[in-house]
Amino acid sequence: MNLTLKVWRQKNKNDQGRFETLQAKNISSEMSFLEMFDVVNEGLINEGKEPIAFDHDCREGICGMCSMHINGRAHGPWDGTTTCQLHMRAFKDGDTITVEPWRAGAFPVIKDLTVDRSAFDRIIEAGGYISVNTGNAQDANCIPVDKTKADLAFAAAACIGCGACVAACKNSSAMLFVSAKVSQLALLPQGHPEKQSRALNMVAQMDKEGFGSCTNTGACEAECPKEISLTNIARLNREFIGAGLSSEK
Amino acid sequence: MKWSQFFNTSIGKKLLVGATGLFLCSFVIVHLAGNFQLLYNDEGKAFNVYAAFMGHNSLIQFIAWGLKIVIVLHAFIALQLTFRNRAARPVKYAVNPGNQTSSWFSRQMAIMGSILLIFIIIHLTNFWAKFHYGEMPLHTYPGQEEPLKDLYLVSQETFKQGWLVVLYVIGMIGLSFHLIHGFKSACQTFGLNHKKYNGLLSFIGVWLFGIAIPVGFAIIPVVIYFK
Repeated sequence: MNLTLKVWRQKNKNDQGRFETLQAKNISSEMSFLEMFDVVNEGLINEGKEPIAFDHDCREGICGMCSMHINGRAHGPWDGTTTCQLHMRAFKDGDTITVEPWRAGAFPVIKDLTVDRSAFDRIIEAGGYISVNTGNAQDANCIPVDKTKADLAFAAAACIGCGACVAACKNSSAMLFVSAKVSQLALLPQGHPEKQSRALNMVAQMDKEGFGSCTNTGACEAECPKEISLTNIARLNREFIGAGLSSEK
Repeated sequence: MKWSQFFNTSIGKKLLVGATGLFLCSFVIVHLAGNFQLLYNDEGKAFNVYAAFMGHNSLIQFIAWGLKIVIVLHAFIALQLTFRNRAARPVKYAVNPGNQTSSWFSRQMAIMGSILLIFIIIHLTNFWAKFHYGEMPLHTYPGQEEPLKDLYLVSQETFKQGWLVVLYVIGMIGLSFHLIHGFKSACQTFGLNHKKYNGLLSFIGVWLFGIAIPVGFAIIPVVIYFK
């Protein structure tokens, strides 16, 4: 198939940036979206032009690097997939596809479609961990975990930190990401000792990074490649209220 | 975390918006119940007695002033969050997903809330300000010694003006669209999201606050206009 691409090009974070129209020719419907970009980039390199910069790592939907806003949707038109899992059969021959980077003040564009998501790392540093004392590991069976809660924690832990929630939210809110990280640990006994400081510190860092607030539109859940549920945001709210009411600090 | 810090976070501010919003939801139920007395065929006696009670009872007056503060607080914090949310995306997308990922109602809260705020100011000018500080016609009903301020007559005259009826209906469309998302959103902010009761919350949000109450309010000026 032959396609017209309208791709965001931006030399660096200080550049204004603009859309560039490119032709993607002889694209197989079995290619992934990133493989299509590889073909286009090969063509650009052969012509002596600058290839399109885009993030990618695992190309199997677990690294969360391939941040592309495709025709108005984070990671393109398919639900529950990253860009590398999106295949060209999602499009028709002759289509025009608009590709933009994630748009959020907290995710500055580094180059073309590559954005800096280190704001997420700083939120994790603020509390998205458990402190483990030195010494021998405890026997795992000594810590009883309810199966239902273990499943919920596992579902929350599926978050790959790709930033699609921020990209999809009209407020650029990071609540789904923060809620997944808080939930994953709050649901398990290992996460209990620090649950209050975790909720308070991660939310404070989220605000500091300049993300917007959640207005419960549900766009994040709809666009999340790992289908993280909005119930996690409700859990984060409960954790935050509980911590605010009873935290010693 | 101190209270001042807690309520300065994005979730803290949302909790204030949600709490004031739920208080206002409870108010519209009481307000509508009172307004239905305008449709009684008793020359407005029940409504005017009710208005006199509401206008003079100290506890009600205390709550009424609290209500105005709550409305200002709700609008102020919500607008503050809205401006902050807009600033969080300095460069907009060239292509937007529209209704594909979120409901239209959920994206129009600030606009519908602003329409509602303008409506509330007009509404207070039409009735509340006139009742407390303006010239009011008086009516003495048989069996009563003191004349009552005839708010019933003022409402009948007000809603004989077609443009005002249209304005009130638009205001109630704003209320409807605001509460279809607002009620359930406030519940979610307070952490109420569970498959056991989500259906009930959606039903209350859409059918009671989003449809029944705004329609109930809108019917009154329309009935008076065509009476």
